Amino acid sequence: MNSRRTFLKQVYGATLALRTASAVPSWAIASGQSDSVVIPGEDGMIVRSARFFDLETPVEYFDRWLTPVSRFFVRNHMHEPSELSAESWRLSVGGEVDKPLTLTLVDVGKLQSHSVVNTLECAGNGRSLHRPQVPGIQWGKGAVSTAKFSGPRLRDVLQQAGVKPSGKHVMFRGLDEVPGKVPPFIRSIPIEKALDPDTLIATHMNDAPLTKHHGFPARALVPGWIGAASCKWLTEVKVLDSEFVGNFMSPGYRFPNQPVKPGDSVKPEDTRALTGLNVKSVISGPLDGSTLKAGKLRAHGAAWAGEADIVKVEVSIDGGSSWSVAALGREQSHYAWRLWSYDWDAKRGDCLIQCRATDSQGRVQPAAAVWNPSGYLYNAVDEVKIHVA
Amino acid sequence: MSHKSVLVLLLMSAGAGVARPGAQSAKVNEDLPAGSMQQKATTACLECHEARIILQQRLNKATWTKEVDKMVKWGAVVDPNDRDMLIEYLNTNFGPEKAAYGPMRTSSEKNSNPNTAKKPPR
Repeated sequence: MNSRRTFLKQVYGATLALRTASAVPSWAIASGQSDSVVIPGEDGMIVRSARFFDLETPVEYFDRWLTPVSRFFVRNHMHEPSELSAESWRLSVGGEVDKPLTLTLVDVGKLQSHSVVNTLECAGNGRSLHRPQVPGIQWGKGAVSTAKFSGPRLRDVLQQAGVKPSGKHVMFRGLDEVPGKVPPFIRSIPIEKALDPDTLIATHMNDAPLTKHHGFPARALVPGWIGAASCKWLTEVKVLDSEFVGNFMSPGYRFPNQPVKPGDSVKPEDTRALTGLNVKSVISGPLDGSTLKAGKLRAHGAAWAGEADIVKVEVSIDGGSSWSVAALGREQSHYAWRLWSYDWDAKRGDCLIQCRATDSQGRVQPAAAVWNPSGYLYNAVDEVKIHVA
Repeated sequence: MSHKSVLVLLLMSAGAGVARPGAQSAKVNEDLPAGSMQQKATTACLECHEARIILQQRLNKATWTKEVDKMVKWGAVVDPNDRDMLIEYLNTNFGPEKAAYGPMRTSSEKNSNPNTAKKPPR
């Protein structure tokens, strides 16, 4: 738990750092290298978009349980807020409550802090792997990362405001700046998830104040659910009597109830709002296309399952004919990925390495992901091809 | 002021030490491909987002049509007489059969090369 003095020192320190950095347009600096752009604080990330920021974590960075903030994927739907300060930031809490509140960052810092290690994954992670291809940010495998998030429970704030019996959903509004006539990025979650003791108003990530790219000074943290649920730059929490109606609840972030074919039109009533993540594992090494010496080799990676726990990761090195159980990493926490590894004696020749995960709900990573028009929740068995010399 | 003009000013204000004379600069702002619709597409699309978001798509004509109509609804300025040509331009350059787009990497410090960063332990 963070002490109040540490909290205040950290967040106000972060404000100063942001102001200093804001004088330099970090996204726009050529590095002198022909293949990279300098973005302070962002280390070796794949640039899917620099305006708006959409930065993907390369799979080779899935080599530790907690992802450093500099390597944590960034997903923005629109412009980051141009002005943010710890002093002037306010969080309003209203709607179907008895006593609407307006909290300062100091107020938030006075509430008891709680920590959750959470694997955050964009619903569109793996979109580029769907066939036929679908529109949207063409994420590879790395719109997913894991961090320790800390801050007060959303439940404590809602209880302070007093949720009326009519309150069934909780809406989040961030300070994102909207271009053109794009609908604002506003979404809601059911009241049951909002009152879950692990749903937070997070102010810290890996024990440091949130950076601007990750939602400074506060974001929602809805563990185990698609990243879009965890609204950044949070400024309004509103209790509603029904699900929020807006583009990012429908048609955005919905999944067909039944399989659909490319070109089919899907009625909104035949879809459901995305919530928890799929069961999934990826290989972080060896890298696809690499050549390695024959002998003892190790395949390794990460596996996660949203609100469920990983119980098993299996690896095949013979094209799926046989599967062996991989060793799971020691570090674990509900909502967090498990690292895994598998050692074998590699013979010369080409080798297809595959991995598949099984979770505590009995879900098994499928051979093929379910195609859908927006390319959400890709989770097919992962594979890499290597040459053993 | 166009986004390109803003970028130039921002680069100038960022300091001469960043981009050294004679150094090969990363292409921070990508351009849309040449063609009769290049300028109109640039005006319509890049007002709100950068070119990479288009360059990475590989979509058939029906999907490009839906995307263009959605973007017009969201504020992209497209003369109705140009709509079909814009869709054709996007589909020709970013159709399903085109090779995948190769993205750049970030580096957190100037002159560092993320592609030679330390490899994870085996």
